[in-house]
Amino acid sequence: MAAAMETDQFPCVLTVQVPFPTARLASVALQSLQVDKELSPLVRRTFTISPPAGDANTTGDQDKTLHVEYRATTNRMLRVAVNSFMESLNLVIEVMEHLDADVLAAEAHST
Amino acid sequence: MAPLYALGCEGSANKLGIGVISHDPTTNTTRILSNVRHTFNSPPGTGFLPKDTAAHHRAHFVSVAREALRAAGLTDPARELSCICYTRGPGMGAPLTSTAVAARTLAALWGLDLVGVNHCVGHIEMGRFITGAANPVVLYVSGGNTQVIAYAEQRYRIFGETLDIAVGNCIDRFARTLQIPNDPFPGYNVEQVAKKAFYTVAADRTTKTPRDPVLLDLPYAVKGMDCSFSGILGAADLQAAQMQKQDALLAAGGALKEGEQRITREDLCFTLQEVVFAMLVEITERAMAHVGSKQVLVVGGVGCNERLQEMMGLMARDRGGSVYATDERFCIDNGIMIGLAGLLAWETGFRTPFEESTCTQRFRTDEVHIKWRTD
Repeated sequence: MAAAMETDQFPCVLTVQVPFPTARLASVALQSLQVDKELSPLVRRTFTISPPAGDANTTGDQDKTLHVEYRATTNRMLRVAVNSFMESLNLVIEVMEHLDADVLAAEAHST
Repeated sequence: MAPLYALGCEGSANKLGIGVISHDPTTNTTRILSNVRHTFNSPPGTGFLPKDTAAHHRAHFVSVAREALRAAGLTDPARELSCICYTRGPGMGAPLTSTAVAARTLAALWGLDLVGVNHCVGHIEMGRFITGAANPVVLYVSGGNTQVIAYAEQRYRIFGETLDIAVGNCIDRFARTLQIPNDPFPGYNVEQVAKKAFYTVAADRTTKTPRDPVLLDLPYAVKGMDCSFSGILGAADLQAAQMQKQDALLAAGGALKEGEQRITREDLCFTLQEVVFAMLVEITERAMAHVGSKQVLVVGGVGCNERLQEMMGLMARDRGGSVYATDERFCIDNGIMIGLAGLLAWETGFRTPFEESTCTQRFRTDEVHIKWRTD
Protein backbone atom coordinates (compact mmCIF):
# COMPACT_ATOMS: atom_id res chain seq x y z
CA MET A 1 0.00 0.00 0.00
CA ALA A 2 2.70 2.45 1.02
CA ALA A 3 4.76 1.43 -1.97
CA ALA A 4 1.76 2.00 -4.22
CA MET A 5 1.30 5.51 -2.81
CA GLU A 6 4.98 6.19 -3.43
CA THR A 7 4.63 5.15 -7.07
CA ASP A 8 1.42 7.21 -7.43
CA GLN A 9 2.86 10.41 -6.07
CA PHE A 10 6.41 10.00 -7.41
CA PRO A 11 5.87 8.34 -10.78
CA CYS A 12 9.08 9.54 -12.43
CA VAL A 13 11.94 7.20 -11.54
CA LEU A 14 15.59 7.00 -12.54
CA THR A 15 18.23 4.68 -11.13
CA VAL A 16 21.89 5.57 -11.57
CA GLN A 17 24.48 2.82 -11.12
CA VAL A 18 28.04 3.96 -10.53
CA PRO A 19 30.66 1.19 -10.52
CA PHE A 20 33.80 1.99 -8.52
CA PRO A 21 37.12 0.14 -8.76
CA THR A 22 37.06 -0.77 -5.05
CA ALA A 23 34.51 -1.14 -2.27
CA ARG A 24 36.39 1.50 -0.29
CA LEU A 25 35.88 4.15 -2.99
CA ALA A 26 32.20 3.23 -3.34
CA SER A 27 31.81 3.73 0.39
CA VAL A 28 33.67 7.09 0.29
CA ALA A 29 31.30 8.30 -2.44
CA LEU A 30 28.28 7.17 -0.45
CA GLN A 31 29.51 8.98 2.67
CA SER A 32 30.20 12.19 0.78
CA LEU A 33 27.01 12.29 -1.27
CA GLN A 34 24.23 11.10 1.01
CA VAL A 35 24.64 13.80 3.70
CA ASP A 36 22.97 16.74 1.95
CA LYS A 37 19.18 16.48 1.93
CA GLU A 38 17.26 16.84 -1.31
CA LEU A 39 16.10 20.45 -1.30
CA SER A 40 12.71 19.78 -2.88
CA PRO A 41 9.90 17.82 -1.19
CA LEU A 42 8.91 16.74 -4.71
CA VAL A 43 11.97 14.50 -4.97
CA ARG A 44 12.90 11.34 -3.01
CA ARG A 45 16.17 9.51 -3.23
CA THR A 46 17.77 6.37 -1.83
CA PHE A 47 21.42 5.29 -1.81
CA THR A 48 22.59 1.67 -1.63
CA ILE A 49 25.83 -0.16 -2.31
CA SER A 50 25.66 -3.61 -3.86
CA PRO A 51 27.18 -5.68 -6.67
CA PRO A 52 26.24 -4.54 -10.20
CA ALA A 53 22.73 -5.60 -11.21
CA GLY A 54 22.56 -9.09 -12.75
CA ASP A 55 26.14 -9.67 -11.75
CA ALA A 56 25.52 -10.85 -8.21
CA ASN A 57 27.54 -14.04 -8.09
CA THR A 58 29.90 -13.78 -11.03
CA THR A 59 32.97 -12.17 -9.52
CA GLY A 60 32.67 -12.95 -5.83
CA ASP A 61 33.78 -9.37 -5.35
CA GLN A 62 32.75 -7.11 -2.53
CA ASP A 63 29.99 -4.59 -3.10
CA LYS A 64 31.45 -1.78 -5.12
CA THR A 65 28.62 -0.29 -7.14
CA LEU A 66 26.74 2.73 -5.88
CA HIS A 67 23.03 2.60 -6.72
CA VAL A 68 21.08 5.83 -6.51
CA GLU A 69 17.36 5.74 -7.10
CA TYR A 70 15.62 9.05 -7.74
CA ARG A 71 11.83 9.41 -7.61
CA ALA A 72 10.09 12.67 -8.43
CA THR A 73 6.60 14.04 -9.02
CA THR A 74 7.48 15.35 -12.49
CA ASN A 75 10.15 14.66 -15.08
CA ARG A 76 11.34 18.23 -14.72
CA MET A 77 12.01 17.80 -11.00
CA LEU A 78 13.70 14.48 -11.73
CA ARG A 79 16.01 16.09 -14.28
CA VAL A 80 16.98 18.96 -11.96
CA ALA A 81 17.74 16.60 -9.07
CA VAL A 82 19.73 14.09 -11.14
CA ASN A 83 21.73 16.85 -12.85
CA SER A 84 22.71 18.24 -9.48
CA PHE A 85 23.68 14.76 -8.28
CA MET A 86 25.86 14.19 -11.35
CA GLU A 87 27.71 17.46 -10.71
CA SER A 88 28.52 16.43 -7.13
CA LEU A 89 29.44 12.90 -8.24
CA ASN A 90 31.84 14.32 -10.79
CA LEU A 91 33.56 16.37 -8.09
CA VAL A 92 33.85 13.35 -5.77
CA ILE A 93 35.43 11.23 -8.52
CA GLU A 94 37.83 14.00 -9.47
CA VAL A 95 38.96 14.34 -5.84
CA MET A 96 39.48 10.56 -5.67
CA GLU A 97 41.49 10.59 -8.87
CA HIS A 98 43.88 13.38 -7.89
CA LEU A 99 43.98 13.51 -4.09
CA ASP A 100 43.71 9.96 -2.77
CA ALA A 101 46.60 8.99 -0.48
CA ASP A 102 48.13 6.45 -2.94
CA VAL A 103 48.04 8.99 -5.79
CA LEU A 104 49.86 11.60 -3.70
CA ALA A 105 52.36 9.01 -2.44
CA ALA A 106 53.11 7.84 -5.98
CA GLU A 107 53.71 11.42 -7.12
CA ALA A 108 55.96 12.18 -4.12
CA HIS A 109 57.93 9.03 -4.88
CA SER A 110 58.39 9.83 -8.58
CA THR A 111 59.72 13.38 -8.05
CA MET B 1 53.91 17.68 21.94
CA ALA B 2 54.41 18.22 18.24
CA PRO B 3 52.37 20.85 16.40
CA LEU B 4 49.05 19.77 14.90
CA TYR B 5 48.12 20.41 11.28
CA ALA B 6 44.75 21.11 9.69
CA LEU B 7 43.46 21.68 6.18
CA GLY B 8 40.80 24.39 5.87
CA CYS B 9 38.30 24.60 2.97
CA GLU B 10 36.30 27.79 2.49
CA GLY B 11 33.65 28.31 -0.17
CA SER B 12 30.75 30.26 1.33
CA ALA B 13 30.79 33.02 -1.30
CA ASN B 14 32.72 33.67 -4.52
CA LYS B 15 36.16 32.72 -3.17
CA LEU B 16 37.37 29.16 -2.99
CA GLY B 17 40.15 29.11 -0.40
CA ILE B 18 42.17 26.11 0.79
CA GLY B 19 45.11 26.28 3.15
CA VAL B 20 47.20 24.39 5.68
CA ILE B 21 47.78 25.76 9.18
CA SER B 22 49.56 24.38 12.21
CA HIS B 23 48.98 25.03 15.88
CA ASP B 24 51.01 23.85 18.83
CA PRO B 25 48.70 23.50 21.84
CA THR B 26 51.53 23.49 24.38
CA THR B 27 53.23 26.69 23.22
CA ASN B 28 50.12 28.19 21.55
CA THR B 29 52.12 29.02 18.44
CA THR B 30 50.41 29.12 15.07
CA ARG B 31 52.04 28.85 11.67
CA ILE B 32 50.64 29.28 8.17
CA LEU B 33 51.99 26.69 5.73
CA SER B 34 49.91 27.59 2.68
CA ASN B 35 47.03 29.87 1.75
CA VAL B 36 45.69 29.38 -1.78
CA ARG B 37 42.65 31.17 -3.16
CA HIS B 38 40.76 31.25 -6.47
CA THR B 39 38.07 33.89 -6.96
CA PHE B 40 35.03 33.73 -9.21
CA ASN B 41 34.55 37.16 -10.79
CA SER B 42 31.42 37.96 -12.76
CA PRO B 43 31.50 40.62 -15.51
CA PRO B 44 31.10 44.35 -14.58
CA GLY B 45 27.50 45.24 -13.80
CA THR B 46 26.63 41.75 -12.59
CA GLY B 47 26.86 39.87 -9.30
CA PHE B 48 27.87 36.27 -8.67
CA LEU B 49 24.96 33.82 -8.74
CA PRO B 50 24.92 30.73 -6.47
CA LYS B 51 24.77 28.22 -9.33
CA ASP B 52 27.72 29.68 -11.26
CA THR B 53 29.74 30.13 -8.08
CA ALA B 54 29.19 26.51 -7.03
CA ALA B 55 30.29 25.38 -10.50
CA HIS B 56 33.44 27.50 -10.11
CA HIS B 57 34.27 25.89 -6.76
CA ARG B 58 33.74 22.37 -8.15
CA ALA B 59 35.89 23.12 -11.19
CA HIS B 60 38.82 24.48 -9.14
CA PHE B 61 38.71 22.41 -5.96
CA VAL B 62 41.24 19.79 -7.02
CA SER B 63 43.83 22.23 -8.40
CA VAL B 64 43.53 24.60 -5.41
CA ALA B 65 43.76 21.71 -2.90
CA ARG B 66 46.80 20.21 -4.65
CA GLU B 67 48.52 23.60 -4.70
CA ALA B 68 47.77 24.06 -0.96
CA LEU B 69 49.34 20.66 -0.18
CA ARG B 70 52.33 21.27 -2.46
CA ALA B 71 53.04 24.74 -1.03
CA ALA B 72 52.79 23.35 2.51
CA GLY B 73 55.16 20.51 1.62
CA LEU B 74 52.68 17.79 2.61
CA THR B 75 52.94 14.49 0.71
CA ASP B 76 51.10 12.20 3.11
CA PRO B 77 48.19 14.27 4.44
CA ALA B 78 46.45 11.20 5.87
CA ARG B 79 49.28 10.94 8.42
CA GLU B 80 50.33 14.58 8.66
CA LEU B 81 46.94 16.25 9.23
CA SER B 82 44.70 16.06 12.29
CA CYS B 83 41.46 17.12 10.65
CA ILE B 84 39.72 18.56 7.59
CA CYS B 85 37.87 21.80 8.37
CA TYR B 86 35.12 23.18 6.15
CA THR B 87 32.75 26.14 6.29
CA ARG B 88 29.39 25.03 7.63
CA GLY B 89 27.84 28.49 7.21
CA PRO B 90 26.69 31.20 6.98
CA GLY B 91 26.85 31.79 3.24
CA MET B 92 25.26 30.85 -0.06
CA GLY B 93 23.81 27.33 -0.06
CA ALA B 94 25.10 25.93 -3.35
CA PRO B 95 28.74 27.11 -3.03
CA LEU B 96 28.85 25.96 0.63
CA THR B 97 27.55 22.52 -0.31
CA SER B 98 29.91 22.07 -3.27
CA THR B 99 32.90 22.73 -1.00
CA ALA B 100 31.53 20.51 1.78
CA VAL B 101 31.08 17.57 -0.64
CA ALA B 102 34.77 17.79 -1.59
CA ALA B 103 35.89 18.26 2.04
CA ARG B 104 33.92 15.14 3.07
CA THR B 105 35.54 13.17 0.25
CA LEU B 106 39.01 14.21 1.44
CA ALA B 107 38.21 13.30 5.06
CA ALA B 108 36.82 9.91 4.00
CA LEU B 109 39.75 9.16 1.66
CA TRP B 110 42.35 10.12 4.25
CA GLY B 111 40.48 8.69 7.26
CA LEU B 112 40.44 12.03 9.11
CA ASP B 113 37.95 13.85 11.33
CA LEU B 114 35.72 16.52 9.86
CA VAL B 115 35.18 19.83 11.63
CA GLY B 116 32.37 22.18 10.52
CA VAL B 117 33.31 25.80 11.17
CA ASN B 118 31.29 28.99 11.55
CA HIS B 119 32.63 31.39 8.92
CA CYS B 120 32.43 34.45 11.22
CA VAL B 121 34.32 32.69 14.02
CA GLY B 122 36.98 31.80 11.43
CA HIS B 123 37.44 35.49 10.57
CA ILE B 124 37.68 36.46 14.26
CA GLU B 125 40.25 33.78 15.19
CA MET B 126 42.35 34.57 12.11
CA GLY B 127 42.28 38.31 12.93
CA ARG B 128 43.25 37.68 16.56
CA PHE B 129 46.14 35.45 15.50
CA ILE B 130 47.53 37.76 12.80
CA THR B 131 47.26 41.00 14.78
CA GLY B 132 47.90 39.65 18.27
CA ALA B 133 44.88 41.55 19.62
CA ALA B 134 43.95 39.49 22.68
CA ASN B 135 40.41 40.58 23.45
CA PRO B 136 39.24 43.25 21.01
CA VAL B 137 35.83 44.52 20.01
CA VAL B 138 35.43 43.00 16.54
CA LEU B 139 33.89 44.74 13.57
CA TYR B 140 33.10 42.04 11.02
CA VAL B 141 32.29 43.63 7.68
CA SER B 142 31.99 41.75 4.39
CA GLY B 143 29.72 41.22 1.41
CA GLY B 144 27.42 38.99 3.44
CA ASN B 145 27.83 40.11 7.04
CA THR B 146 27.97 43.28 9.13
CA GLN B 147 28.31 42.73 12.88
CA VAL B 148 29.89 44.37 15.93
CA ILE B 149 31.03 41.58 18.21
CA ALA B 150 32.57 41.30 21.69
CA TYR B 151 33.65 38.18 23.55
CA ALA B 152 32.12 37.20 26.88
CA GLU B 153 31.97 33.82 28.62
CA GLN B 154 32.89 31.53 25.72
CA ARG B 155 30.65 33.22 23.14
CA TYR B 156 31.27 35.88 20.53
CA ARG B 157 28.28 38.07 21.30
CA ILE B 158 26.67 40.30 18.71
CA PHE B 159 26.26 43.88 19.94
CA GLY B 160 25.00 45.38 16.73
CA GLU B 161 24.41 44.31 13.15
CA THR B 162 22.82 45.28 9.87
CA LEU B 163 19.05 45.25 9.71
CA ASP B 164 19.00 44.48 5.99
CA ILE B 165 21.93 44.06 3.54
CA ALA B 166 25.61 43.83 4.46
CA VAL B 167 27.80 46.91 4.03
CA GLY B 168 29.94 45.06 1.45
CA ASN B 169 26.83 44.13 -0.49
CA CYS B 170 25.81 47.81 -0.50
CA ILE B 171 29.22 48.84 -1.90
CA ASP B 172 29.41 45.91 -4.38
CA ARG B 173 25.94 46.61 -5.75
CA PHE B 174 26.72 50.29 -6.11
CA ALA B 175 29.84 49.27 -8.06
CA ARG B 176 27.50 47.37 -10.41
CA THR B 177 25.34 50.50 -10.82
CA LEU B 178 28.43 52.40 -12.00
CA GLN B 179 29.72 49.42 -14.04
CA ILE B 180 32.88 49.33 -11.92
CA PRO B 181 34.74 46.01 -12.50
CA ASN B 182 34.54 43.13 -9.99
CA ASP B 183 38.21 42.22 -10.47
CA PRO B 184 40.13 41.98 -8.13
CA PHE B 185 37.11 42.87 -6.01
CA PRO B 186 34.50 45.61 -6.33
CA GLY B 187 35.11 47.29 -2.96
CA TYR B 188 38.77 47.83 -3.83
CA ASN B 189 37.85 49.43 -7.15
CA VAL B 190 35.28 51.71 -5.48
CA GLU B 191 38.00 52.77 -3.03
CA GLN B 192 40.33 53.66 -5.93
CA VAL B 193 37.61 55.72 -7.65
CA ALA B 194 36.88 57.52 -4.33
CA LYS B 195 40.56 58.53 -4.04
CA LYS B 196 40.24 60.36 -7.36
CA ALA B 197 37.69 62.73 -5.78
CA PHE B 198 40.68 64.50 -4.16
CA TYR B 199 42.12 65.87 -7.40
CA THR B 200 41.22 66.80 -10.95
CA VAL B 201 43.21 65.67 -13.96
CA ALA B 202 43.85 68.14 -16.78
CA ALA B 203 42.51 67.34 -20.26
CA ASP B 204 46.01 66.41 -21.46
CA ARG B 205 46.20 63.91 -18.54
CA THR B 206 49.59 65.20 -17.42
CA THR B 207 48.80 67.42 -14.43
CA LYS B 208 46.77 66.79 -11.31
CA THR B 209 45.22 69.64 -9.33
CA PRO B 210 44.07 69.03 -5.74
CA ARG B 211 40.39 69.61 -5.05
CA ASP B 212 38.05 69.18 -2.10
CA PRO B 213 35.78 66.18 -2.63
CA VAL B 214 32.05 66.94 -2.53
CA LEU B 215 30.04 65.15 0.12
CA LEU B 216 26.76 64.50 -1.66
CA ASP B 217 23.44 63.98 0.07
CA LEU B 218 22.92 60.41 1.32
CA PRO B 219 20.89 59.23 4.32
CA TYR B 220 22.63 58.17 7.54
CA ALA B 221 20.92 55.15 9.07
CA VAL B 222 22.08 54.08 12.52
CA LYS B 223 19.29 52.66 14.69
CA GLY B 224 20.53 52.06 18.20
CA MET B 225 23.37 49.57 17.83
CA ASP B 226 22.18 48.47 14.38
CA CYS B 227 22.65 49.84 10.86
CA SER B 228 20.61 49.87 7.69
CA PHE B 229 22.21 50.02 4.25
CA SER B 230 19.49 49.25 1.71
CA GLY B 231 18.01 52.78 1.76
CA ILE B 232 21.48 54.27 1.33
CA LEU B 233 22.06 52.06 -1.71
CA GLY B 234 18.70 53.16 -3.14
CA ALA B 235 19.56 56.83 -2.61
CA ALA B 236 23.02 56.39 -4.14
CA ASP B 237 21.48 54.65 -7.17
CA LEU B 238 19.13 57.64 -7.62
CA GLN B 239 22.09 60.02 -7.51
CA ALA B 240 23.88 57.87 -10.10
CA ALA B 241 20.80 58.03 -12.36
CA GLN B 242 20.76 61.82 -11.95
CA MET B 243 24.46 61.90 -12.90
CA GLN B 244 23.75 59.95 -16.08
CA LYS B 245 21.01 62.46 -16.99
CA GLN B 246 23.51 65.27 -16.50
CA ASP B 247 26.06 63.40 -18.65
CA ALA B 248 23.51 63.07 -21.47
CA LEU B 249 22.43 66.70 -21.17
CA LEU B 250 25.99 68.01 -21.26
CA ALA B 251 26.95 65.70 -24.14
CA ALA B 252 24.04 67.12 -26.13
CA GLY B 253 25.42 70.63 -25.61
CA GLY B 254 22.97 71.57 -22.85
CA ALA B 255 23.76 73.23 -19.51
CA LEU B 256 22.91 72.40 -15.90
CA LYS B 257 20.28 74.44 -14.09
CA GLU B 258 21.43 77.43 -12.04
CA GLY B 259 22.94 76.15 -8.79
CA GLU B 260 22.63 72.44 -9.69
CA GLN B 261 25.43 70.31 -8.28
CA ARG B 262 27.34 68.39 -10.96
CA ILE B 263 27.50 64.79 -9.72
CA THR B 264 30.61 62.71 -10.50
CA ARG B 265 31.46 59.03 -10.07
CA GLU B 266 34.36 60.00 -7.84
CA ASP B 267 32.25 62.08 -5.45
CA LEU B 268 29.59 59.37 -5.38
CA CYS B 269 32.08 56.67 -4.37
CA PHE B 270 33.72 59.04 -1.87
CA THR B 271 30.35 59.93 -0.31
CA LEU B 272 29.14 56.35 -0.09
CA GLN B 273 32.32 55.29 1.73
CA GLU B 274 32.28 58.27 4.12
CA VAL B 275 28.64 57.73 5.10
CA VAL B 276 28.62 53.96 5.60
CA PHE B 277 32.01 53.91 7.34
CA ALA B 278 30.94 56.73 9.70
CA MET B 279 27.94 54.60 10.68
CA LEU B 280 30.20 51.60 11.38
CA VAL B 281 32.61 53.72 13.43
CA GLU B 282 29.70 55.06 15.51
CA ILE B 283 28.33 51.67 16.52
CA THR B 284 31.82 50.24 17.08
CA GLU B 285 32.70 53.12 19.39
CA ARG B 286 29.52 52.57 21.39
CA ALA B 287 30.36 48.86 21.78
CA MET B 288 33.91 49.74 22.93
CA ALA B 289 32.51 52.18 25.52
CA HIS B 290 30.05 49.53 26.71
CA VAL B 291 32.55 46.73 27.23
CA GLY B 292 35.42 49.04 28.26
CA SER B 293 37.76 47.84 25.50
CA LYS B 294 40.45 49.96 23.84
CA GLN B 295 41.21 47.52 21.01
CA VAL B 296 39.17 47.21 17.84
CA LEU B 297 39.79 44.45 15.33
CA VAL B 298 38.40 44.85 11.81
CA VAL B 299 37.87 41.60 9.87
CA GLY B 300 36.06 40.58 6.67
CA GLY B 301 36.59 41.73 3.10
CA VAL B 302 35.55 45.36 3.72
CA GLY B 303 38.16 45.39 6.52
CA CYS B 304 40.95 45.82 3.98
CA ASN B 305 39.54 49.20 2.93
CA GLU B 306 42.22 51.69 3.98
CA ARG B 307 39.76 54.55 4.46
CA LEU B 308 37.73 52.42 6.91
CA GLN B 309 40.93 51.50 8.77
CA GLU B 310 41.93 55.19 8.88
CA MET B 311 38.53 56.34 10.24
CA MET B 312 38.47 53.52 12.78
CA GLY B 313 42.07 54.41 13.80
CA LEU B 314 41.13 58.06 14.43
CA MET B 315 38.25 57.00 16.67
CA ALA B 316 40.35 54.43 18.54
CA ARG B 317 43.19 56.92 19.10
CA ASP B 318 40.74 59.44 20.58
CA ARG B 319 39.81 56.75 23.08
CA GLY B 320 43.48 55.98 23.84
CA GLY B 321 43.39 52.69 21.96
CA SER B 322 44.27 51.29 18.57
CA VAL B 323 42.85 49.53 15.56
CA TYR B 324 44.01 46.10 14.41
CA ALA B 325 43.51 45.17 10.79
CA THR B 326 44.97 42.68 8.35
CA ASP B 327 45.65 42.79 4.63
CA GLU B 328 43.76 41.07 1.84
CA ARG B 329 45.51 37.69 2.35
CA PHE B 330 43.75 37.22 5.68
CA CYS B 331 40.87 39.73 5.60
CA ILE B 332 39.25 38.32 2.51
CA ASP B 333 37.75 34.85 2.79
CA ASN B 334 40.46 32.19 2.93
CA GLY B 335 40.98 28.55 3.85
CA ILE B 336 43.39 28.98 6.75
CA MET B 337 40.92 30.96 8.85
CA ILE B 338 38.60 27.95 8.63
CA GLY B 339 41.54 25.64 9.36
CA LEU B 340 42.59 27.65 12.43
CA ALA B 341 39.12 27.95 14.02
CA GLY B 342 38.47 24.28 13.20
CA LEU B 343 41.77 23.09 14.66
CA LEU B 344 41.22 25.05 17.89
CA ALA B 345 37.80 23.39 18.22
CA TRP B 346 39.25 19.96 17.35
CA GLU B 347 41.83 20.31 20.14
CA THR B 348 38.97 20.70 22.63
CA GLY B 349 37.43 17.45 21.36
CA PHE B 350 34.93 18.91 18.90
CA ARG B 351 34.12 16.71 15.88
CA THR B 352 31.46 16.91 13.15
CA PRO B 353 30.21 13.37 12.42
CA PHE B 354 29.84 12.62 8.69
CA GLU B 355 26.07 12.22 8.86
CA GLU B 356 25.81 15.69 10.47
CA SER B 357 28.31 17.42 8.16
CA THR B 358 25.72 19.54 6.38
CA CYS B 359 25.80 23.25 5.55
CA THR B 360 23.46 26.00 6.62
CA GLN B 361 22.91 29.40 5.06
CA ARG B 362 22.01 30.89 8.45
CA PHE B 363 24.45 30.23 11.29
CA ARG B 364 24.82 33.02 13.84
CA THR B 365 28.19 33.88 15.35
CA ASP B 366 26.84 33.53 18.91
CA GLU B 367 25.63 29.95 18.36
CA VAL B 368 29.19 28.61 18.64
CA HIS B 369 30.59 27.53 22.02
CA ILE B 370 34.13 29.01 22.09
CA LYS B 371 35.51 26.26 24.28
CA TRP B 372 39.15 27.07 23.47
CA ARG B 373 39.04 30.46 25.18
CA THR B 374 39.03 30.45 28.96
CA ASP B 375 39.39 34.17 29.63
